[in-house]
Amino acid sequence: MLKGLIGFVLILSFGLLFSCKDKKDKDADITDFNKGEMLENVSANIILPSLFKFETEVSDLKSSFVTFKSDPTNANLNEVKMHWKASYLTWQTLKIFDFGPIRNIGFKSATGTYPVDPAKVESNINSGAYNLAAASNLDAIGLNALDYLLYNSNALTEFQNNAAYADYTEEVIRKIYNETQAVVNGWTAYKAEFDASTGTSSTSAFSELVNEFNRDYELAKTAKIGIPIGKANLGLSNPEYVEARYSGISFELLVESIKALKATYNGKGLIKGSNGLGFSDYLLNLEKSNLDNTINDKFDVIQSNAEGFTMTLEEAINDPGMQNQLDELYLHLQQQVVNIKTDMTAAFGVLITYQDNDGD
Amino acid sequence: MLLFSSVRFIMKGWVETQYIEPQFFFGYLGFEWIKPLQGNLMYIPFVLMAIAALFIMLGFFYRISTFVFFVCFTYIELIDKSNYLNHYYFLSLMSFLMMLVPAHRDFSIDAKLFPSIRRKETAAWHIGILKFQLAVVYIFAGLAKINADWLFEAQPLRTWLQAHHNIPYVGGILKAEITAYFFSWMGCLYDLFIVFFLLNKRTRPLAYLAVIFFHIVTWLLFPIGVFPWVMIFSTTIFFSAQFHQQLLNGLKRVFKWSENIPETIKNMPTPNPFVKYGIILYITFQILVPIRFLAYPGHLFWNEEGFRFSWRVMLMHKEGHATFYVTDKASGRTIEVNNTDYLTIRQEDQMMTQPDMILQFAKMLKKEYDGKTFSNKEQSITLHDPAVHAEVFVALNGRNSQLFIDKKHDLTALPYNLKHRDWIEPFEK
Repeated sequence: MLKGLIGFVLILSFGLLFSCKDKKDKDADITDFNKGEMLENVSANIILPSLFKFETEVSDLKSSFVTFKSDPTNANLNEVKMHWKASYLTWQTLKIFDFGPIRNIGFKSATGTYPVDPAKVESNINSGAYNLAAASNLDAIGLNALDYLLYNSNALTEFQNNAAYADYTEEVIRKIYNETQAVVNGWTAYKAEFDASTGTSSTSAFSELVNEFNRDYELAKTAKIGIPIGKANLGLSNPEYVEARYSGISFELLVESIKALKATYNGKGLIKGSNGLGFSDYLLNLEKSNLDNTINDKFDVIQSNAEGFTMTLEEAINDPGMQNQLDELYLHLQQQVVNIKTDMTAAFGVLITYQDNDGD
Repeated sequence: MLLFSSVRFIMKGWVETQYIEPQFFFGYLGFEWIKPLQGNLMYIPFVLMAIAALFIMLGFFYRISTFVFFVCFTYIELIDKSNYLNHYYFLSLMSFLMMLVPAHRDFSIDAKLFPSIRRKETAAWHIGILKFQLAVVYIFAGLAKINADWLFEAQPLRTWLQAHHNIPYVGGILKAEITAYFFSWMGCLYDLFIVFFLLNKRTRPLAYLAVIFFHIVTWLLFPIGVFPWVMIFSTTIFFSAQFHQQLLNGLKRVFKWSENIPETIKNMPTPNPFVKYGIILYITFQILVPIRFLAYPGHLFWNEEGFRFSWRVMLMHKEGHATFYVTDKASGRTIEVNNTDYLTIRQEDQMMTQPDMILQFAKMLKKEYDGKTFSNKEQSITLHDPAVHAEVFVALNGRNSQLFIDKKHDLTALPYNLKHRDWIEPFEK
């Protein structure tokens, strides 16, 4: 019996040698890739620069509001609006990275929750008794609360005549400013840990980056377009769910968000324009260049579709003639999910849950 | 071992995330009546289990303790199939067998309390059935590895091993293609033959070293929990009676337990005529269940018909994406479902690649949406007897994703049973 076994083992071993042979020659042209270098590139060239940029813009927003508050002219309000918009556009990059210091203080939900609840904002202002840190106030703070406070049709009059209105706005800005400072400090300490966390557990920085990248993409798809056009509501549209409804910059934000996701995917530094390692390079290294092309092409199609609208999202929703164009945009957004969430994640061997797994 | 496992489960907060948080549970066909307890009451079976495990270890009310452990453990496992793991199934079976095997007849508190149960020897089937169970696990796991993906593509190991390329010193080796092939083939050979080497007296010491080495490597590289340790300890059953006697005598000295068994006690336990038939039935069941997949057409990994309870471990890397659509039959209007409104991330992840769970979820959605009203400022529509469709894509073992479930099927109209599911899209190479 033992002899028989040994014979069998030998046969299988030959099979092993044989099956490997024809694969050898492919290895030559594979590009080099290393997760550690990729994380270093993402933190040094994407996360930190966009965090510093956001910090500067929020700081400008804060000081421009001080000026406006003491001298509430339309020109000064426009200055505030300009800094608000710049902050909001940079936020589209920062919001991808909801882990580490950003997640620890709930920065993403505090800054980017939408839609805003105008009634809640007004009642906070009128009562004067509010705790902006309360979870129940998430839709009364952040960049979208500012969208309402700065852009609603009565904004300037309110600022000129209602001190409580201006105070509330200032509080909202201060909260974003303070939290930004906390995240900047947190990241300075966290960077080394992030760069080194290349493991395969679901809590490693690499897994978190993949998972949050996917989550942010899906959130953009669902919240920026899907819900407002009624995808979760039998196709009955919900314009009150539109992001940044009062300023009407929703399409600009979507375009910026897609650009940020694409740049992160490719490891392209937003500020320096540098091009380091990203998910794209990992896929190429795994001989998945077709998938890489599909993903990049899809990002481009989505971007050009989103740029094709010459009106605000709310106007497009209310115009029956635009429905096909909106549905088409949504379809492209939907198709990309399979590419990045299923195909890309599967290729990387990243786990999405914290539990034991026996691979079945 | 069992104690450690239950405590670990509680400590990691998994009771909360897996049995209290979810709003919907994927029951097993025929066992859907098994429901979790309300809220924190769900901790009760876990605590009972930990206590029972402690008692088993001490040999204190052994029969009752093993029964309690088996019932609690199996109950917990039957609640939700998204938590199914082969090693939980293994533990469930082992605790069932332990219930029948009298492992308390010496060196236990029971034997102190009731000296009449003390025995020196035990019936051969007591040890034999445990050996058989381990053999089933290994050999079927080995047979399952004899497939093209595992042997000729080294998948899914190739995907999993390359992900470790940042480990200092060995990262480069793990990434190399040849390593994945080596691991695949060695893993297959190990599973197929380790039992025979353990049974053979001459090869046993070497084989056991292999057991330790193999399971520690898998423990280091893959998130498979306590399984490697369970196997390392379980396989000691293959050691000779003398070995265990010596080990036991050593422990007895530590606890000052009298080494010699009084001459007056009976050597053998009393035989029971039903045992023979019970064993035959159990063995038949254990052999038939893993090969039931032969009764289904199509690709096993793709359709997953006859996949569970078959010791198919580490065989698949499956990622999916499932979008469910609830449609109002009258107006033809559709809702796109956000799965995470109803499922935890783990449940969603498991559901998206397994057809039976996709069907269960669709039927749950129908109940959930039936009678709901949706409106905006202009209109209001109430759903009656909605249809549920799903578009599902799945990527298997390093391949690109393919259509798994087509949107054309109204899942609420499909039967949920053990018959072949012809609504799954065929697998293309």
